[in-house]
Amino acid sequence: MVERFLNVFAPVRRPALAVAAAAALLGGCSRDTGANEVWDPLEGANRFVFSINRAVDTIAIRPVAVLYRDWMPAPAQRGLHNALENLGEPVTAIAEVVQGDPRRAGTTLARFVVNSTIGVAGLFDVATAIGLTKTKEGFGNTIGYYAGVEPENGGFYIVLPMIGPSNARDGVGLAIDASVDPFSIVAFSISSSAGWIYAGARFGATVIDTRSRTLYALDDLERNSVDYYAALRSAYTQQRAEIIRQKREKTGPRAELERRDKLALVR
Amino acid sequence: MQFASRRAFFYAAAAAAVLAVPAHAADGPAAQLIEKVAGEVIELIKTTQGAQREAGIRSVLERYFDLTYMGRAALATHWDGTTPAQRDRFLKAAISAEARAYAERFGQYGGQTLAVTSVSNRANGVFVVASKLNQSNGQPIAIQWEVRDSGQGLRITDVKIEGVSMVMTRRSDFNSYIQNNGGKVDALIGELERRAGR
Repeated sequence: MVERFLNVFAPVRRPALAVAAAAALLGGCSRDTGANEVWDPLEGANRFVFSINRAVDTIAIRPVAVLYRDWMPAPAQRGLHNALENLGEPVTAIAEVVQGDPRRAGTTLARFVVNSTIGVAGLFDVATAIGLTKTKEGFGNTIGYYAGVEPENGGFYIVLPMIGPSNARDGVGLAIDASVDPFSIVAFSISSSAGWIYAGARFGATVIDTRSRTLYALDDLERNSVDYYAALRSAYTQQRAEIIRQKREKTGPRAELERRDKLALVR
Repeated sequence: MQFASRRAFFYAAAAAAVLAVPAHAADGPAAQLIEKVAGEVIELIKTTQGAQREAGIRSVLERYFDLTYMGRAALATHWDGTTPAQRDRFLKAAISAEARAYAERFGQYGGQTLAVTSVSNRANGVFVVASKLNQSNGQPIAIQWEVRDSGQGLRITDVKIEGVSMVMTRRSDFNSYIQNNGGKVDALIGELERRAGR
């Protein structure tokens, strides 16, 4: 009976699934899926949102991103990118404090002050030139940093409308990022329409900036996969895991190698 | 005269000893393999186009990668249920697809160089070679190579670009496709062959 139930999930290795199922029964929702299979209980709904996102991308976002990449002068593209990154520095600094690294948060704040003033509202990244190196943090990374699970395990996978691939960890992280963002707090305290104008303008600019930078990689992934949804799900999960793994200093390269041994791609 | 030549020999030996000191921190057979592969690929991008480049890339894959191992890892549990004939067809189609993907991926040569930064080796004989692909414009790209000896000398068994493993991504991709096509590996093989013949 149990065996028949497990057969529904044929591609998942059975012992792994049995362990995971036991863990799910015993320990509630936390499941250490490792990198083998991304936990995607909402796959049907996710594929639906994914197809809508792709349609919107094809007719509206991608063409704008291509025009932007090919026709906007490179210094203007760099300037917009820098300005958007500068707007993210306060959230990065808050996240770094929560991660227990106030020194790094201080550097981030110094970057923000330098770039917002000498760097003309963040258009120029002067801070990097004077040796204040850049980091980019958010609460997705912070949750991943403290969660005692493999960073491949970000909870269930979810495709967000307009935003795209995410998971429970990163989705909650995004919500916290938005709620602690000082600019957003100030804008919404002026009036709710000011808040929405700020949020909408920043989101729109971020979408075009990000899409123009991912054109090449996503085109490549789409062209060379037989199931683009699954390939993107895997690539997203791996890349986020890599960033979080690098944050956990305790897990050096050796721990990473041991993890890969245990994963044993071939049995 | 004899003395002079002996001294010359001594100097030559000393010079050789100095030169033999690794030029970078990471050296050894695994690092050399990666440097050799990178050198050949960069040469291919510089000198070839289209079908000729694709053939060159295919030859690099066949000589330096353990393609059977990678195919097996990518098919995961489905590998065991396949016949030798299916495996042959699958590997052939998957290699053609990868060779074409890599040939298209690199456009014009833009001055990229690959520098090996470190090599970690494990007791089980697996090497992980970390490298940076330096670009003339933009940030360097982190590439990790998994190298192991499974009976034919050191071969590459995975490439991780910015944390994204080629084998792992294919594994998800292929398995999802098989799952959505009635659990039949033949469906995947057919799709890969159709793409290779395009």
